[in-house]
Amino acid sequence: MAPLDTLLSGLAREHSTGALRVGRAGTVFLSEGRVTYMECAQTPGVERLLAARGRVPETALRRLRDDGGCARLLEEGTVTLGELQYCVLGAVLDAAFFLLPVAGTRPKFRPGEQHWLGGQWYFDVAGLMRESARRRAYLAQTWPSAALDTAPVRPAPRLPGHGVTLDPVQWEVVIGADAEATPLDLARRLGRSGYSVLLAVRRLAAAGLLAPPEEPAVKAPRASARALQDGAHGLPQRVRAPAGERPPHDPRASGPMLGPAVTADPTDLVLLMRLKKALEELS
Amino acid sequence: MLGLDDCLTEVMAIPGALDAMLVDQTSGMAVAISGPPQGVDAECSAAALTETLRAATDGLARSCPGETVRIDDMLVTTDKGHHLLRLLETVFEGPLVIYVRLDLERSNLALARYRLQAISSQLLT
Repeated sequence: MAPLDTLLSGLAREHSTGALRVGRAGTVFLSEGRVTYMECAQTPGVERLLAARGRVPETALRRLRDDGGCARLLEEGTVTLGELQYCVLGAVLDAAFFLLPVAGTRPKFRPGEQHWLGGQWYFDVAGLMRESARRRAYLAQTWPSAALDTAPVRPAPRLPGHGVTLDPVQWEVVIGADAEATPLDLARRLGRSGYSVLLAVRRLAAAGLLAPPEEPAVKAPRASARALQDGAHGLPQRVRAPAGERPPHDPRASGPMLGPAVTADPTDLVLLMRLKKALEELS
Repeated sequence: MLGLDDCLTEVMAIPGALDAMLVDQTSGMAVAISGPPQGVDAECSAAALTETLRAATDGLARSCPGETVRIDDMLVTTDKGHHLLRLLETVFEGPLVIYVRLDLERSNLALARYRLQAISSQLLT
């Protein structure tokens, strides 16, 4: 089965108009080969963004969708044209970021179908893919591990330093985090784009402001068993944190690996070292 | 009422404007571009401008403790021209940044700032 991006490129080439439904993951709306709107189940759409910021309640939006559409929304003056375009732009790019890599469902194309918020801004398929790739690369550059993207956000209970600067999204993430919500849950709750929350969480991680990932549950019973054995007073033993677990900004953290990763067997390395030493002695 | 494209046209009508761009500060993406100079990758320059602003905000936050930093506009003058950045707080993400590069000789900074203020209020109200 063709991946979503090749399918979309094909529809763009044929100047198709309609809606491409990608299972439950989302829908892409096209008009004459250009993307006009994109919905993704994981990210907040324009309606959610407008409602979360207290601009237009969702019920009012639903009423507008059935009667009057965009023109009436602008006429009523709750959002300006510039704001609506900016909002659609942000929401579509955010949906594209999460929807384009989706695979495993058979997309269904319905010709002629349009979204009521479409037509505010036009996107070409290649541009959407390029921007998604750029965002992905930037996330990886901020903090290399994607494990945070799906795990509950748990800010560190204490500040590991004397001061810190937070940007607005980071602030909202710290306030909203309840040790259960994942970044995308938070995005929907806060009415922020999924990407901006992912980025904020990775920046928090890079600054060492997230609690370390939860230890596997095996360790705890063993520790208590030992404490019992020692007949003891149950005080936890102090253990030196291994160097690898320090946040990267910590001067004592092990730096990023320089050069290509070591793949050889350590015994080979020892042999090579001995050979090098022998050659040096010879000369 | 201005759309994003019209906003850019208005910015380019500022006397001495060489090129202009709208940048989404959250994602570092170029939203709209007007005639970038030869050999300039708009995507790269948008991302780089975002980093400049982030660094400025960070630096100011550390140099004025006890304040919440909110940059309204930023001016950088180089030996070739003026670079004006205006940040627009929107209700959604953002801020949305209007960037304009002005000719050193032919532009009037006070006028340019005034016009940018007028354009941003038209865009958002």
